[in-house]
Amino acid sequence: MMTFKVVDPGLFSTVQDAGRTGYQAYGFSPSGAMDYRAHKLVNKLLGNDENAAVLEMTLHGVTLEVLKETVIATAGAEAEIMVDDVSYGSGLPIRVMRGERLKIGKCQRGARIYLGVAGGFDVPEVLGSRSTHTRSGIGGFKGRTLKAGDVLRTVGGEFQNTMKKIKSFEEDDIIRIIPGQQYERFSDDAREKLFNSGYEITKDSDRMGFRLSGPELTAEDGHDVLSEPTQLGSIQVPKNGQPIILLNDRQTAGGYARIATVALADIPKLVQKPPGEKIIFKEIDVDEAAEEYKKELERIRSGEYFEPLTDFTSVRRRTALKITKLMGV
Amino acid sequence: MDIKRYSENAVTVYIGDEISETVNKTLVNLKNELENRGTDGVTEIVISYTSLIIYFDLFKVRGEELEALLKEIDLEALEGQPFEYKLIEIPVCYGGEFGPDLDRFEEDGLSPEEVVEMHSGTEYLVYMLGFMPGFPYLGGLDEKLFKDRLDNPRTSIPAGSVGIGGKQTGMYPFTSPGGWNLLGRTPVPLFDEEREPSILYEAGDRIIFKSIDEDEYKAIEQQVADGVYEVNITRREAE
Repeated sequence: MMTFKVVDPGLFSTVQDAGRTGYQAYGFSPSGAMDYRAHKLVNKLLGNDENAAVLEMTLHGVTLEVLKETVIATAGAEAEIMVDDVSYGSGLPIRVMRGERLKIGKCQRGARIYLGVAGGFDVPEVLGSRSTHTRSGIGGFKGRTLKAGDVLRTVGGEFQNTMKKIKSFEEDDIIRIIPGQQYERFSDDAREKLFNSGYEITKDSDRMGFRLSGPELTAEDGHDVLSEPTQLGSIQVPKNGQPIILLNDRQTAGGYARIATVALADIPKLVQKPPGEKIIFKEIDVDEAAEEYKKELERIRSGEYFEPLTDFTSVRRRTALKITKLMGV
Repeated sequence: MDIKRYSENAVTVYIGDEISETVNKTLVNLKNELENRGTDGVTEIVISYTSLIIYFDLFKVRGEELEALLKEIDLEALEGQPFEYKLIEIPVCYGGEFGPDLDRFEEDGLSPEEVVEMHSGTEYLVYMLGFMPGFPYLGGLDEKLFKDRLDNPRTSIPAGSVGIGGKQTGMYPFTSPGGWNLLGRTPVPLFDEEREPSILYEAGDRIIFKSIDEDEYKAIEQQVADGVYEVNITRREAE
């Protein structure tokens, strides 16, 4: 069903699900929601399938005209959510009615806002996924970022209020990393710098990768290697010595020396850092990282990231509006 | 065989350290062996020049278990195993507006006809895919055709373009910027989400280019639009 019309598309807004898995051998980037935790949580809150498609918005939200009543919620970065002239917070279910305007402001904490909707966004699956990969123009909404005037369809379905909201995250700057393919090529001095300096996320950071800026990392036997598959979080270091963290829309093969891989458990924290912020790397062993990732997924599934919703006005807006009308105020 | 783990949900197997058909064949054999065994929890296997990466579901299998399983595999025993690969014929209209750099080989003493004959007369091995969806890293280019990339890369190369960049030949499944010398273009979509399979080839397959003229190009383009074009694919047994 046609649920929203885009009034303002924000800066870079794409439809994403958990990603396109199983096609890396053919060169397809997995894509998918960068903050996998926010994607899973918003769907869980709305009672959707865990893999339902959401809207990922970078740094600034969208403004949508509501064409059909539904329930929405946001997760990930915190931003002001306005329904006409009423302001709501992040992480809670909000019922929106036909004719209303849903305006998601700029990120106040974090860098990526996820808008979930009852049933998920309804776009065709390409190779088993609804995720957009803008570089090849496939998946999501016509393979591209949203534009003003686009009409978005949603799957819909009845919303069962779980009386819950998503907790706010308190996060530090520590990003854990696993020694990478060419770790041994880097000198003790380079490793020392990697762990003790802190690296800044530059403006040239997007869904393909985060370009970092900080002390130069030199590989003693050169920075070029034979092309081999890249992983989510691979930290490659080209000749200029400035690391690049490869993310969801990365090329599937790369030919630069890889000093480390970001632990999957810390990916949500990393991708919510806006340009200009510093991160500090800390080493973690691959087996320990695997345990941490499993624990993180279990925390998401168990509902540990939810807290009770005490104010129901966001969900019961239909009744509230009726009463207001009856009372003539 | 060197087994390593650099990510929580992946095991990498390295075989040798240089690009060779033998290494590619071993990697294809190993991939087939793993797929035939149907190991629980393995979600994806990706081949590159000298390695193979196995992605897995952490809730179904542990990295250490996969490592142990890999150590049991006797690569030498696998080498003798025959496997099936595909030979895919890609029709290419060389020169003209499709291949603006074809004439540039005259500076190397090669006429356009000679370039076309050499380029279309070879079966190229698909070592791996990457760079963009469906982009094959091909081996087997005649060294007389090696040619440096353009000093000024083009801002947009149309999908279907076939070219040479350094020691490699390849084709662009999607419109993209690039610095390759363009020899021609194929009317066959290299990626088609409606087609099964969407990408025609995988690591271990071979590609041969067939020279066609502009009329044939247009005819194939029409057949593709009508949904009646069939790519010429031969299944072969590798020894």
